[in-house]
Amino acid sequence: VSGPGPGGRAATALGRGKDRLRRILGVGVQEEVESELGFHLQMRIRDLEAAGMSPAAAREQATSEFGDYQAIEAECMNIAKRRNRSVRRAEWLAELRQDVRFGFRQLARSPGFALLTVLMLALGIGASTAIFSIVNGVLLRPLPFPQPDRLVAVYQVDVEGTQGQFSHPNFVDLKERSGSFAALAEYASSFVPVLVGETAVRVPVARVSSDFFPALGVRAAVGRTFLPEEFGTGEPVVVVSDAFWRQHLAASRDLAAMTVRVGDQPLTVVGVLPPGIRFPGSAELWGPQGRTADETRTGHNWQVVGRLRAGVSPQAASRELREIGRALKARYGDDTMMMGAAAVPLHEVIVGGVRPMLLVLVGGAGVLLLITCANVVNLLLSRTAARQRELAVRRALGAGRARLVRQFVGESLVLTLAGGVMGAALAFVGMRALLALEPGRLPRVGEVRVDTAALLFALGVSVVAAAAIGLIVALRASDGSVWGALAEESRGSSGGAASHRMRSALAVGQVALTLVLLVGAGLLTRSFVRLMAVDPGYRTTDAVVMDVVIPWATSEEEKARSMRLHGELLARLAEIPGVTAAGSVNILPLGNEGTGSSGSFVRVDRSETVRDFDELTRLMREPGRAGDAVYRVASGGYFPAMGIPLVRGRLFDDRDTPQTPHAAVISRSLAEREWPGQDPVGKWIQYGGMDGDLRPFVIVGVVGDVREKSLDAEPEPAFYANVRQRPAGVFGPQNIILQGGDPQAVSAVARGIVREVNPGVPVRFRTLEGVFSASLSERRFSLLLMGVFAVTALVLAVTGIYGIISYLVAQRTREIGIRLALGAPVGAVRGMVLRSGVLLAAAGVALGLVSALAATRLLSGLLFGIGTRDPLTFVAVPLLLLGVAALASYVPARRTTRVDPIIVMRAE
Amino acid sequence: MSKSNTLLHGALDALILRTLAWEPRHGYAIARWLEAETSQALRIEEGSLYPALYRLEERGWVEAEWGVSELGRQAKFYRLTPEGREQLVKRTEEWETFAAAVSRVLLGPPRPAGALG
Repeated sequence: VSGPGPGGRAATALGRGKDRLRRILGVGVQEEVESELGFHLQMRIRDLEAAGMSPAAAREQATSEFGDYQAIEAECMNIAKRRNRSVRRAEWLAELRQDVRFGFRQLARSPGFALLTVLMLALGIGASTAIFSIVNGVLLRPLPFPQPDRLVAVYQVDVEGTQGQFSHPNFVDLKERSGSFAALAEYASSFVPVLVGETAVRVPVARVSSDFFPALGVRAAVGRTFLPEEFGTGEPVVVVSDAFWRQHLAASRDLAAMTVRVGDQPLTVVGVLPPGIRFPGSAELWGPQGRTADETRTGHNWQVVGRLRAGVSPQAASRELREIGRALKARYGDDTMMMGAAAVPLHEVIVGGVRPMLLVLVGGAGVLLLITCANVVNLLLSRTAARQRELAVRRALGAGRARLVRQFVGESLVLTLAGGVMGAALAFVGMRALLALEPGRLPRVGEVRVDTAALLFALGVSVVAAAAIGLIVALRASDGSVWGALAEESRGSSGGAASHRMRSALAVGQVALTLVLLVGAGLLTRSFVRLMAVDPGYRTTDAVVMDVVIPWATSEEEKARSMRLHGELLARLAEIPGVTAAGSVNILPLGNEGTGSSGSFVRVDRSETVRDFDELTRLMREPGRAGDAVYRVASGGYFPAMGIPLVRGRLFDDRDTPQTPHAAVISRSLAEREWPGQDPVGKWIQYGGMDGDLRPFVIVGVVGDVREKSLDAEPEPAFYANVRQRPAGVFGPQNIILQGGDPQAVSAVARGIVREVNPGVPVRFRTLEGVFSASLSERRFSLLLMGVFAVTALVLAVTGIYGIISYLVAQRTREIGIRLALGAPVGAVRGMVLRSGVLLAAAGVALGLVSALAATRLLSGLLFGIGTRDPLTFVAVPLLLLGVAALASYVPARRTTRVDPIIVMRAE
Repeated sequence: MSKSNTLLHGALDALILRTLAWEPRHGYAIARWLEAETSQALRIEEGSLYPALYRLEERGWVEAEWGVSELGRQAKFYRLTPEGREQLVKRTEEWETFAAAVSRVLLGPPRPAGALG
């Protein structure tokens, strides 16, 4: 037996190529194995026959010597397939590496082009990554509790279907009867003054019931949470957040040695929660719920959070709660306002409000990314046009279409990955800037960061964009016959009609998408302008808001002390030079601090006295007696300090003392609703349900309406009690408004006064204008982002049109030259060029209008005072786009006049 | 030949590599050469040669090429790669050590069992 001869060697060279082809195609493994094994058997039979065996015996012997043919064939095929796969993979990677290198070389040849493209991609990818990070942190990532999908907020539902806070007795009954919850807890949030060193700070606090931490599934990271015996007794213990522990307690693990001074009371720190746990809101301290025995069924002081049992859906829980609510109503009748109850997923409660805005921004960023990609495709195509000859030569030399496609993908991969890296960096910087623009109204903002998920997102976007861009460019570029391209090139008209059509289609698409973004930004702007024209009912300028926390008081002596403190502060602050009015209110309009309190009152006669709450409840049931309003506790100076106009009667003044009849001021809308056509001044009402004080109010004045909740919501009827007569309203957070003077100077003097009067009172200064402006921050945020997206899109679309028209002019120089030579007026030639640009834009505008009409429905929740089809926006935006497109085409059109017919015609 | 018998498996690999040490051969030629060289002492199913060859090719110790056999038919020829040649040297050394050890035990003087205790 010998090896292959010279002829065999030549054949193997050919065979090797064939092997490779087979491997690449991934076929022929079976044939290969069959023919190899078959060759063996045939050779053996031939040899045995040559040794003198009969053909049948030879076949028999060869087969038996060989063994289990089927099994061997199968094993060989498995090995061969496995080998082919790994070879293919290695070859593919090697070629990709080659393509990427080639891409680098191509780009290095035109660094300006590369830089421009990478910058554009970085912008698109960066914007979408930043928005993705925010959406991921706020909307997508689950709440930082175990099994967070089982957490729900539970609301009491009143007769109007409004969801509100719970009264304690209703909560207790509900908890006892419901089988849907593994744990159900109530909590109430507020602020307390905490003494840190020498200065007092206001700290958000939550009073929680015994099931609160079990419901959330939170355990203390250091120490413990509360013991059962610490509830209901006013035990001086507190659990602190990780941030508070690190900032104020030096992260010491020796908890026994630490106290937190809240007001005058030292509280023992028993536990520290894990990092990132700040529920409700941005709570820093948690205290055990105190005495609840006296709470009524009509005082709605508690919020409720629950953990559903495994397998119970929020809907099922709501159904059960509704039944229980109905049963309680049947049992207690008018003693409770509760008509039912509802469970809402906690995640929805926390982030549901910002979802529409964030989704709109996601849409905007996505559209911008699409426009960017279209622009890059356009740029690449225009460059490919110039490379047409090179491509034709490569194809003539045998480069397959698939390989050319891969080279383009490789080149765009280099571009998009560079864009992606820069984009991620941009997102990192941009997101900080974005969040800085958004002053604290966005929930869970502390959980937002550019993390692995965001980087993976940027990478994914880059790769998908590379594939899309590369494929489109490659399919265009490698289209058509080799000879056609070579011939075309020699005629000097690069690109070809198909490529031009493609680029025009891209420009039309860009204009359409830009129109959608511009319409969105336009609608948001119009809403904002409309909103700014709304009168909030008070003067937003020239006033400082000073937030103080007055210590909570239980004993009569403490109460009197707090009242004196409040009175003295107001009196001294009013004397600050430059301050023309000073007043206090417990809840500031548009301040976004708590829902505020509202409740029911009863109209009474002057002689009528209400002895107890049973009698009050009985009166409420009498038809035509009861009404409801937003309940505020204010000082007489509040109205002039805020610039709230007095309509009738008088404000609170020195005539009102704790001993005189309790005075009340009501808003105009309350007066009109409750006493239509009458003078409400001198009427009496009973509003004891709010603070447990049954002394009646006499109405002394009527003031203008104020938008309390938000600027886009109609003002609610309001009732103001006098802080000097109703001390219950003075404890806790108070807003003191100082009208007039320079904010900086006034704040400095005011800070000194507080330090003198009582250094234990924490103060914080804002301007009234700042508070007002912050109430619009969400709108401003989305408006600003949409605006940036839209303007960027506009710039990109304009560059797109400009590029195409310039190209068109360059291509038709000869034709233009001939026209001019034949005496066509310059204006007509210019018009011809201009027309093609405007026509492109018009097609885009038409397409965009149709898309915008559909897309703006997403905005409906964010608009104010205009519809989603606001005519002004839908007329102005297309006009703007057409105008800008005309301008973009005018520049290249002007160039035609510089064409010298003679030179042009000689040029070829 | 059983698959689990790694000792013989390894031996077969080494024998194949040895067969290809001078020149490329196709599978049938390898089978005939093994038969002749081992004087038919190594009774293996000839078919099991092929999975072994495929595995060697997968590891990169041999290369396969289609060529024309001495009788003018298409046949797959296997050729030793430089890596395969190294393996052959290594396997041969291992076999020497192994065979010497086994020989020492099998052919040496017997010792009483108690000596081990």
